[in-house]
Amino acid sequence: MRRLVLASISISAVARLAWAGNEPPSAAYLASRELELVAAKKPQVYLVLSPEQRALEVRARGVTLDRVSLTGLELLSQQPVFGRSLPFSPSVPAWWVIKEGPGDADREVIAPAELRPMPAEGEEEPEATPAPTPTGPTPTPTPTPEPPVSYRIQLENGWDLWITDRLPQQGFLRLVGAALRDGWNRLRGRGLDLPPAVTLVMAPEDARRIHHLFRTGAAILVTTGT
Amino acid sequence: MSADPTVVLGVQVAPPPRRTWLWATLGLLVLLVGTALACLSVLRSGRPLVATAFEISTVLPGGLGEGLGVEKRAARAESELGKLAPRGPYIVIDTYRNRLLLLEDGKVLRSAVCSTGTGRVLRDPRNGREWVFDTPLGERVIQNKRKDPPWAKPDWAFIEEGYKPPPPGSPERWDTVSLGDFGLYMGDGYIIHGTLFKSLLGRRVTHGCVRLGDEDLEFVYKHAPIGTRVYLY
Repeated sequence: MRRLVLASISISAVARLAWAGNEPPSAAYLASRELELVAAKKPQVYLVLSPEQRALEVRARGVTLDRVSLTGLELLSQQPVFGRSLPFSPSVPAWWVIKEGPGDADREVIAPAELRPMPAEGEEEPEATPAPTPTGPTPTPTPTPEPPVSYRIQLENGWDLWITDRLPQQGFLRLVGAALRDGWNRLRGRGLDLPPAVTLVMAPEDARRIHHLFRTGAAILVTTGT
Repeated sequence: MSADPTVVLGVQVAPPPRRTWLWATLGLLVLLVGTALACLSVLRSGRPLVATAFEISTVLPGGLGEGLGVEKRAARAESELGKLAPRGPYIVIDTYRNRLLLLEDGKVLRSAVCSTGTGRVLRDPRNGREWVFDTPLGERVIQNKRKDPPWAKPDWAFIEEGYKPPPPGSPERWDTVSLGDFGLYMGDGYIIHGTLFKSLLGRRVTHGCVRLGDEDLEFVYKHAPIGTRVYLY
C-alpha cells in the first residue's frame, strides 16, 4: 500500500514536471499513448500514422526507427457525379489491422529439379559445372524486383489503405470522363466496387521502402492529439 | 413524250422542293439528343473515385475526460513506454535499404552497409519442404557472440546448390570461413556475420542473416554486448 502511494505521488510529480510550461496533454493524446503501450509491450514492429503531423512512423518498443513524411492524406471513395454521399470519417485513435497486404505477394521459388550426391573429397563432378569459389552461402546475384510505388492494402475494418506517389487528377472534366468510363463498364456488368481508401501520398522511394512492412496481421496505430 | 419528268408536254416544270435537309437536321438532332441522354444515363451510373479531405472523428474510451487524471495517466503511459525503450547500445537494421545503425541514447555510433534476406523460397524437390529466405522483422536480442564463428551448414545450403544434404554431423557440413571473423547470434539461426562476397553488400542476397563488411563487423562486435537489442524493419 505504501509502495502504491509512493508510486502515485512520484507519477503525479513526473506528470507535473513533464507538462510544466507546456500545454497539458489532451485526452485524445492519452488514449493514443495508452493504445501504443499495448503494442510496445510486444517484440514487433508497428506503424504509427499521425494525420495531424502528416507522418507515418515505424516504431518498436515506443522508439521511432524510421519516419516517412506524407505529401498528401486524402480519403478516396467512389461517388456518383450527382448526389454524393461521403463515407463516415474514421474514428481515432484506433488500431487498423491489415487483412491482406501487398507484402505477402508471390515470392520467387527456387526449386532444383533433382538433387545429386555430394562429390567425395578429391572426386571430380561428372558434369562440367564450374566449381563454386569461394565456398559458403551462395550469393544470389539476380536483383530482387523493386516494389511498386502505388498499392492498396485491405484493412480488417473494411477500408483500404492506398499508398501512392500521386493522387488521381480531380478536375471536373476528368471526373466526368472517369464517370463515363465506370458507367459504361457497369452497364456491361464489369463495374468495380472499391471500398473507401485512406490515401497516403508520399515520395516514390518512401512508398517502395515501406512496402514490405504491410504484411497480413500487421498493425497501424492511427493517433491524434498532442 | 419526253423522258425527262420535269418536262411535261414540252413545258419545263420546277422540281418539287427538296426536304432532305430537313430530315437530315431532324435526324442529327435526334441522334444528338439520344447520345446526350445515353451519356447522361451512363454518367449517372458511373461512380468515379473522388478525393476528399481526410477528416477524423476523435472517439475516446469511456470515462476518459480532460483534467489532472489525464495528466497523471499520460505521465504513467510515458513512463511505461520509456521503460520499454532500449538502454545502452542497440542496433537498427533497415532491410529495404540494407543499412545497419548502431545507436546509443539516440546517437549513431556506426552506420554500415549490410546485406539482408532475398525473400525467395527454396523448395526441396524430394519432399516439397520449403525455406523462406527472409530476414525476420521485429525485435531480437544478441544472445551470443563468437570470434571466427564456424558454420554448420543446414540442409538448404546443399539443396540450393543441387546436392543431397549429407547426414547430420558429417564433416562436409562444417565451414569455417564463410561467416567471417565475428558472429553475433540473434536466435533461430539468424546471425550478424561477415562475408566473402563484399561486392554484394548493400543488396538483398542472404538467406536471412545479416552480413557486414569486416571493419563494420569488428566495430559492432566490440561495441554491442550480449543482450543488445536489435530492431529489424
